[in-house]
Amino acid sequence: MSCFLREKFFENMTGIAELKVENESIAIISIAGTWSIYEKHPHAEKFIETILSKPSIQRVDLKFVNLKSWDSVLINFLVHILNFCESKNLTVNIDDVPIGIRKLIELSKTSPIRSESPTSQKESTVLEFIGSVGLFLFFSLRIFLGFIGKLWVEIISFIGGKVKIRSREFAIVLQEVGVKALPIVFLISFLVGLIIAFISILQLSQFGANIYVANLVGISMMREMGCIMTGIIMSGRTGAAFAATIGTMIVNDEVDALQTAGFSIINFLVLPRVIALTLMMPLLCIFSSFMGILGGLCAAISTTDLTIVRYCTQMANSIHLNDLFVGIIKSCFFGFLVAAIGCQKGLQCKRSAEDVGLITTTAVVTSITAIVIMDAIFAIVFSFLGI
Amino acid sequence: MMPKISVKNLSMAYDNYVIMRNLSFDVQQGEIFLVIGQSGCGKSTLLKYLLGLKQVGYQKIFYDGQDINSMINIPSFYGKKIGVLYQSGALWSSMTLAENVALPLETYTPLNRKEIEEIVTLKLSLVGLKGFENFYPSQISGGMQKRAGLARAMALDPEILFFDEPSAGLDSVSAKRLDDLILELKESLRITVVIVTHDLASIFAIGTRAIFLDVESKTITATGTPHELLVSSNDKNVMAFLSRGTKIA
Repeated sequence: MSCFLREKFFENMTGIAELKVENESIAIISIAGTWSIYEKHPHAEKFIETILSKPSIQRVDLKFVNLKSWDSVLINFLVHILNFCESKNLTVNIDDVPIGIRKLIELSKTSPIRSESPTSQKESTVLEFIGSVGLFLFFSLRIFLGFIGKLWVEIISFIGGKVKIRSREFAIVLQEVGVKALPIVFLISFLVGLIIAFISILQLSQFGANIYVANLVGISMMREMGCIMTGIIMSGRTGAAFAATIGTMIVNDEVDALQTAGFSIINFLVLPRVIALTLMMPLLCIFSSFMGILGGLCAAISTTDLTIVRYCTQMANSIHLNDLFVGIIKSCFFGFLVAAIGCQKGLQCKRSAEDVGLITTTAVVTSITAIVIMDAIFAIVFSFLGI
Repeated sequence: MMPKISVKNLSMAYDNYVIMRNLSFDVQQGEIFLVIGQSGCGKSTLLKYLLGLKQVGYQKIFYDGQDINSMINIPSFYGKKIGVLYQSGALWSSMTLAENVALPLETYTPLNRKEIEEIVTLKLSLVGLKGFENFYPSQISGGMQKRAGLARAMALDPEILFFDEPSAGLDSVSAKRLDDLILELKESLRITVVIVTHDLASIFAIGTRAIFLDVESKTITATGTPHELLVSSNDKNVMAFLSRGTKIA
């Protein structure tokens, strides 16, 4: 008899396993001590390697000597050994294995194995990656356009009086997207106006043209910054809220409950939100523009010799009604886009809390991207029209 | 007699993974029909197909002999024909319990506000929630949410009531009360009830007839009353599933 392997390399190892070979054909693995997931313990791989190195071994005996306590690590160790023996057609003597351990091992083996996998992932090449991204964008756009189509059918039905929305729900959404958004719109717009004015004054003061700060702030806030900043704020605030609310309703089966109560999801969940935000955005945009102008005024009178009257007079002379209309028209589109994207992403939510977070993030990113693209299109169109 | 619901050779899949193949069964008027099976066998998915929430081919599911595809676009199919109690209750969280129950009545009936309020109170009383009309779902317990969900499902006195795991998450007393309520509704309103469950106590207490969806063979392996399934089924999974119930029943 010879002692092949004694797996106790660490001082604090409490679980012990020894391998001895009898008559060149029988491997005896003796197991003792305390086997715990919190302590160092022997690993089956080394025993398997040792058995493999002795081709003459035909049988493996499992012996338990002075085993104090055990948990999953011992089961794992034994399952490895048993699976190896089974794969090599080695006989295993488990007569000495305590009944509790034996039952757990049997239980782990009787668990059914699902043969089919729902998805299989393989590493893709750069070309495949580009192709898959292209397809993803194509299908996402197609789905979104389909959604917009359905939404417009419902909007036309609503305008024609065929579809009604619940006035109470609508009033709540109006309040949420309108009045409650005023503080954040005020803060951001005021600061943006202030920043534009400060930067302008730095440059204009070199030519003694401080008075033109009113032109710069006025036109930029009315035409661009007012509607863009409101759109971005609404994407992060309201669009995200729409996506998260509808996503959570899907997780809680509330959307299924609406469907099985015979309600159109678009009429009930999407239409009030889209109409509310499309109506509120122009008002928020006007508010934002004037708050930006106010911010510019504060910067101008505090850092230059301009007075309130001169700033306002210059502003009135420089901006036209067209500039205000440009901002209002753009904000209507931005409001529609933010609400539609938020709702559409919400309806794409699967049934997990993780997905709610994911679709919320996607809704914000998509909305902001869409606003910037739409603004660029407007810039081209308005320049052609000479507005 | 024409079955209330008829399913013919229905196969169900999730992504590309086949869950069940060639399911065929009938649900008769006035019975409490159970869909039972191990976790993951596709019971809730089958419910989604029966409710028209998943797209199904033609000539697969029939209600009173009519194909489901010709019915799901008719608003009165939902609400008037069928009512559903979801596992979580699925109450609309932005509305009070009264508003939850009133919404289908406001939408589909010509009743005036006073009549609707009276019916809402009646329905909530039936499920033991009188006085909770102005509570929001977040202000009541899970069991109460489930009962409120049942009141909403019954709002339009549907012909068929579907239950998805009605006793899930309930203590044994509440589960028994819900079982008794289902039996009473079935007796008094003569409605057809379809229940997806794996609660053995409910299976033996209220089930008229049951089908067993077998997760291994991916089809129905037993049909009959719960006791017939227990006594005469030779399928090892059916026996293993129901044998615990003998102690409970």
